[in-house]
Amino acid sequence: MNVVITPTMVGQVIISGLLSGALYSMVALGLALIFGVMRIINVAHGPLLMLGAYTTYFLYSGLGLNPYLTVPVSMLVLFGVGLLLERTLIFRVVDAPELSSLLLTFGISIALVNATQLAFTSDLRAVEYLTGSWLVGPFAVSKPRVIAFAFAVGLTGLAFVFLKYTRTGKAIRATSQSREVAMVCGIDVGRIHLLTFGLASALAAAGGALIAVIVAIQPEMGQVWTFKSFLVIVLGGAGNYPGALVGGMLLGLVEQLASLFLTTQLSEVVAYVLLVLVLLVRPTGLLGGRQT
Amino acid sequence: MTKRSWFAVGAVGAGAAVLAAVLPAGAQGPIRIGASLSLTGTYAKLGKNQHEGYKLCEKDLNAKGGLLGRKVEFVMYDDQSMPPTGVRLYEKLITEDKVDAVMGPYSSPITEAVANVTEKYKKVMVSPLAATTSIFKKGRKHIFMVISPAEVYLEGLVDMAAKRGLKTVAVVNEDTLFSKAAAAGAAELAKKRGMQVVYQEAYPKGNTDFSALLTKIKSLNPDVIAAATYFDDAVALTRQMKELNVNPKMYGVTVGGDLPEFYDTLKTNAEYIYGATQWEPGLPYPGNKEFFESYKKDFGHEPSYHSAAGYAGCITYAEGVRRAASLDPDKVREQLLKLEMKTAFGEYKVDQDGFQLAHKMVTLQWQDGKKIVVWPDDLAQAKARFPAPPWNQR
Amino acid sequence: MKRAGALALIALALAALAIYPAFATGYGVRAVLQIFMWIALAGSWNVISGLTGYVSFGHVAFFGMGAYTGGLLIAKTGWPWPLAALGGAAAAGLLALAIGGPCLRLRGPYFAIAMLGLNEVLRALVSYFEGLTGGGNGLSLPTLDATVPIYYAMGLTAAAVTAGTYLILSSRFGLRLMTIREDEVAAEAMGIDTFSHKLVAFLLSALGPGLAGALTARDQGYIEPLSVFPLATTITMIVMALFGGKGTVWGPVLGAAVLFIAQEMVWARYPYVHPLLFGAIIVAVVLAMPRGVLGLLQLKFRLPRTI
Repeated sequence: MNVVITPTMVGQVIISGLLSGALYSMVALGLALIFGVMRIINVAHGPLLMLGAYTTYFLYSGLGLNPYLTVPVSMLVLFGVGLLLERTLIFRVVDAPELSSLLLTFGISIALVNATQLAFTSDLRAVEYLTGSWLVGPFAVSKPRVIAFAFAVGLTGLAFVFLKYTRTGKAIRATSQSREVAMVCGIDVGRIHLLTFGLASALAAAGGALIAVIVAIQPEMGQVWTFKSFLVIVLGGAGNYPGALVGGMLLGLVEQLASLFLTTQLSEVVAYVLLVLVLLVRPTGLLGGRQT
Repeated sequence: MTKRSWFAVGAVGAGAAVLAAVLPAGAQGPIRIGASLSLTGTYAKLGKNQHEGYKLCEKDLNAKGGLLGRKVEFVMYDDQSMPPTGVRLYEKLITEDKVDAVMGPYSSPITEAVANVTEKYKKVMVSPLAATTSIFKKGRKHIFMVISPAEVYLEGLVDMAAKRGLKTVAVVNEDTLFSKAAAAGAAELAKKRGMQVVYQEAYPKGNTDFSALLTKIKSLNPDVIAAATYFDDAVALTRQMKELNVNPKMYGVTVGGDLPEFYDTLKTNAEYIYGATQWEPGLPYPGNKEFFESYKKDFGHEPSYHSAAGYAGCITYAEGVRRAASLDPDKVREQLLKLEMKTAFGEYKVDQDGFQLAHKMVTLQWQDGKKIVVWPDDLAQAKARFPAPPWNQR
Repeated sequence: MKRAGALALIALALAALAIYPAFATGYGVRAVLQIFMWIALAGSWNVISGLTGYVSFGHVAFFGMGAYTGGLLIAKTGWPWPLAALGGAAAAGLLALAIGGPCLRLRGPYFAIAMLGLNEVLRALVSYFEGLTGGGNGLSLPTLDATVPIYYAMGLTAAAVTAGTYLILSSRFGLRLMTIREDEVAAEAMGIDTFSHKLVAFLLSALGPGLAGALTARDQGYIEPLSVFPLATTITMIVMALFGGKGTVWGPVLGAAVLFIAQEMVWARYPYVHPLLFGAIIVAVVLAMPRGVLGLLQLKFRLPRTI
């Protein structure tokens, strides 16, 4: 156990951290949107990601499509699922205390995971499409992870452009700042909620579609993503959208560096300890978030 | 109510109680065997295979006239892959459902928790899917092991490495009961054979990014990497080894490596990788071929060793009952302790603690898309391909 | 008169529960033992979350803390289990005091997520210090068949939690907690020291799970990190308290009993589908009866606050 850590190793690990960080950011952005606009903590976020992964898997194995081409399809499918969930169940707890939304989304999450298990069994699936890495100097950069990184950055960028420059995007931000004033300005808040949930689901699905090429697909794969998304938005500040980016990258880096300098086992602890520390020192997150 | 009525009620109550105690509970009905299986939760896939193994055994026993002239019927519940749930279910099976016998659940943690219950009620329990030695070394009297213990899963890999004069080993494992035991066993075996364990690290269950771990291992350049894994970690580890260009001369995994999905997922990246398994369909054990065909027909997919172990465990128990000519736990126990038997799963013989002595693990290697048994020598189908060429030369 | 009737009913129920082990099956005793455990858990959660309004989403952390402390005291230092159980409760209490300070400064969802994070940190730490706790291997206790005595101990715990809730609800302290729940800023403006009140409530809400955890560890004889720190346990205790009526005394009792029995019945019959049904139940409870059964009854029939 006498590993000498060289700068190259640190560099390699930093690259890994950034690559996974971008994915965390994208998925967490969806969660941040839901919380910012609707004040709802969506525990079902992980299962939505999982469904995105399954969609990609079936399109790949059933129709032989290039998995990266299925990303927009998965996003579209889950956008629809998100709309459906919002219209039937979620809208009812928008004004309720946070306990209701926590529990409701938890119930939905169990139902989704179990339904998937019944429909497709717990058999592990995987998309064997792309493996290996490109060499950049002394560093090996994983091909599927880089492509996922590129997509994540692109989609997150698009999301920000959408939020900043389009009419609907501005309406979303307005509702996020103050629902009452938004209503007074003539914004159809109900429609905004619907769209936000759909959009967030689509972002989660993109995450799922991209990691389908990297990890094994099974019904419970989303759970850990729910936790990590929570971590990210708390780190960055709940409801703070650029905060989700910062939080995601930070989490990715911290995990990998802890894994290198300590052990992989401890990296799990470190992430949560970081969460608790940030909450204690800066309760509204690093970039400042919503005060409820 | 008057004193008289109270007396009447009491008499009726007492009479009913006496009657209930005296009436035998369906003496000539089917023999009911209870078990809890992990049908949902983390172990769902493998628990289902074991469940199917039990069902096939039930069918085969009944086709041959049942046991002691009675039909066999399994009563099975889902323990959700959680030990406390298993405990409750076995209490239920034994004290409420009043089953005639019990068979073990899936996995070591659940078996460990449940064994406390079966020992309390002195019920014989053949535990086909518990591989942890400590379960059988606590002075328990009614529990019987079927599979080889976790500690020897990587024995084949280590043995082959030592015979080829390799010197350094890195050991990684998931931080759960079985994997830790397998890793500890591998490390100890390696040291006994004069090899040096240069690195050993555990990772949490569910971990998907091994880049830091592999970066550290790569810097030490070990001859052998022994990984005590399940399936998804085995896949992730392999893929990242390729990405980071980690090239040991021999790389072996445990549970995940013997599943057909391993090759389906990794395709040619699975070549040269060693896996360990308790059983393979091609092994020359009695009744193995029939078991394989039957299972495939009934359940629509190939059995894994968990299926075979479940099946064999049930057959072994039935043999114990047959020899004892009774369901009485002490008599059955006596028979199971001295029984030596070969089933479709392999050999069975236990020591006085019920710990499995005779069953052999086999080590396989993926060659041209097929699982080829390469160890031990007397069961090997071909020689191992050694050393594994570096990733960029495949 | 009403009060005497109610007390008589309670006394009768307690007597029935007390003699139950004499003629029940092993499974029956274990099942009721579990119901007692859930009453203790749901009732304790109710104190911090139902009464005070601070939704703890990681309350099982205290259960796990109690389980490992009690387990270690029994396995490594040979303490008799009743003492070890008290040790478990004490450890949980200390944990509450230690983290209550920082955590209770957080509001709303932040508090909920911080508690969740705490639970995961504890689980990961227990796994890491495997020299002490056995880590992923779990911790095995020397074999002891103590199911019946533990039945009584757990029953006492459940009774203590319920009685404690009644005492709090009918006291000034309880009134102030509820004021904090309704509007913390106003409470402070009225001169209530919200911090110390919250801390006391938090401490009290940790003792029940700590005790229950230690007792469960002894009863099971084997614990591992994944089975004593699961999120599902937190959710279940919350749903039980909600179903019965959070903020009431008997709500958690009702919720625990009804939902546990329902779960056992469903699960035996529908092994593959029960998580789905559980999810559906949660959704139904949240949407249709957010105030719970007793909450609804309280509204309709103007039942007293201390029901």
